[in-house]
Amino acid sequence: MSSPTYRGQRWHLKITAYGLGLISLLTFLLPMQARAVPAFARQTGQNCVACHAGGQFPELTPYGRMFKMTGYTIGERTIPLSVMGLASSSRIANAPAGTAKTATPILATASVFLAGKITENMGAFTQITYDPYAVDNGDGTFSGHSNADNMDIRFANHIVGNKQDWIYGVSLNNNPSLTDPWNSAAAWMQYVPVPSPSSSQFIDGTAPYPGFASGGNIAGLNAYLYWNRTVYAEVGTYRTADRALSFMTAGASPRTQLNGSNNPYWRLALSHEWGPHNLMVGTSGMLAHVYDDPTDTSDPASVGKFRNTGLDAQYQYILDPHTVTAQVAYMKTEQTYSDAMSAGLSNPGLGDTNTVTRAKLGYTYQAKYGGSLSFFNLKGSTNNQSDPATSGITYEAFFIPVQNIRIGAQYTSYNKYLGASTNYDGAGRNASDNNSMFLYVWFTY
Amino acid sequence: MKFSHILLIVATGVFGAGCSSIENSRDLANPKVSATTLAQQVCSLCHGIDGNSTSPKFPNLAAQQPTYFMAQLKAFRVHNRLDPEGVEYMWGLSRSLTDEQIKGLAVYFSAKTPAPVPGATADAVTIAAGKGIFEKGIPEKGVTACSACHGPQAQGNEDSPRLAHQHADYIVKQLTVFQRTEERHEESTMKTVAHELTRKNMEDVAAYLEEFPAQ
Repeated sequence: MSSPTYRGQRWHLKITAYGLGLISLLTFLLPMQARAVPAFARQTGQNCVACHAGGQFPELTPYGRMFKMTGYTIGERTIPLSVMGLASSSRIANAPAGTAKTATPILATASVFLAGKITENMGAFTQITYDPYAVDNGDGTFSGHSNADNMDIRFANHIVGNKQDWIYGVSLNNNPSLTDPWNSAAAWMQYVPVPSPSSSQFIDGTAPYPGFASGGNIAGLNAYLYWNRTVYAEVGTYRTADRALSFMTAGASPRTQLNGSNNPYWRLALSHEWGPHNLMVGTSGMLAHVYDDPTDTSDPASVGKFRNTGLDAQYQYILDPHTVTAQVAYMKTEQTYSDAMSAGLSNPGLGDTNTVTRAKLGYTYQAKYGGSLSFFNLKGSTNNQSDPATSGITYEAFFIPVQNIRIGAQYTSYNKYLGASTNYDGAGRNASDNNSMFLYVWFTY
Repeated sequence: MKFSHILLIVATGVFGAGCSSIENSRDLANPKVSATTLAQQVCSLCHGIDGNSTSPKFPNLAAQQPTYFMAQLKAFRVHNRLDPEGVEYMWGLSRSLTDEQIKGLAVYFSAKTPAPVPGATADAVTIAAGKGIFEKGIPEKGVTACSACHGPQAQGNEDSPRLAHQHADYIVKQLTVFQRTEERHEESTMKTVAHELTRKNMEDVAAYLEEFPAQ
């Protein structure tokens, strides 16, 4: 039996332990307040707002774009390690039966970044993401899974003269347009990230966006050039991320299978900066040869073709305390069905064409309080597919209490879903039933 | 020849042509990197290759007084200058610079030619009001003339910065910092000078300095 003295000592020990724990936690947290954020910020010693417009990652400022284009090499080498986490809660206006984790706070995803300067001319931005809800076991439980996320390893050189300014480089990456410095490019023109449980199946991150039909998790080698901070040109080609390149899609299953290495990607953009304003107008495209079934590449007749053509523009006004961003992107996807698939279609020999238009207007005050309004509209032909027409509006409000934490509320409302506003599934479900509220806390260090 | 083969050749060429060279280094912690290289590879991204910045968020550095310039970079380096953008942008960039590099940067930018700020379009009344404050101060409020320290051409001297053709927005923000905070406590003279200025006074004198019409 414990004596009063002994119990007193135990309490004393407990209080001391809690105290030490609290001090350790504060010691860990306090430096974040002063000089937070990932490896890049530690490398330059700068605040998030230097590279991210209004502090809202991932959107880049003109300087942030230069940091990226010069291969993430500005600054001094540090430990190239960062972490990111997302806690969230999603609720669907009229959730389908069996929807998992409705209005339940969850730790949605966690990422580790290996990012930063490697040599004078080489740097990397690589992300590995853990998804605790990757697999729904069907009995109310989930299994977690990690996979390679964004990966961009690049070499760059910057030749600066009084009249001429050239940046050129090459990038090994795993997602078409991930390399792009503007956030109206396909890989960046979307609210991210998206938790896996079905309660998040209609949030903006899952809504149509102007992406490339090949999707991510492939391997590309791109070369780019930026002349006098005016003309940006990039060409690249993609292939299946297998053999030595398999690390770029590690954990992704099934891995997208492209036919051969001749899946070209291109990008051309014109940019101009004046006073606190900057504007970019650009175009991009890709031709991808994709196997119908990523688990079966035995039949050469099972390769479909996707031709993407995109237009996009971005305007920014950045002058304290205001940051305004307007983005618009349009992407056309022309699909030619594989011979194997075409034979069984109702209109053999005919392809299908989809177009996605997205526009977004964002504002941040003092890099602390912000919001955005986004519009999306997907239209498509119906030769051999059911009507994909989906459109809606997303509203977002967020608060950045310290530079590495963002707390947001995002609401996506649908005017049309899979071809109709009402009874789109033939079972009485309306597009507005999918309207979704998404609350999140996004943290990075 | 396959498209990917062409790309591989291009990639090899790029790697070969631009092998790590200290002349194009962006390393802020290597004392061997010259000030000219740092100015071109890093500073110019915001302040312009010739010290004339595009965005008013970043001050023009062309023809800035070298002694003043060095004092500011050193103040950023030891965290004596606490204005928000100094903390957010300049503390980190300056943290490992050597005195020699700072001196070299001062020489680089002081030798550049200031250009008029594009799009400076203040009206004549504002310009006249700003000119009055710059040249004569506001005697009834005890505000001394800016030109007394910054020179009749706003060219500055060892202790006082050049102000001619500086971005108006930057001047207003810095005057506000002097007036309302201790963030630039090493320059206490400016706290006294700015004490009685109204927002309108600041905007007038800033508009005049940005345009700085030929005398």
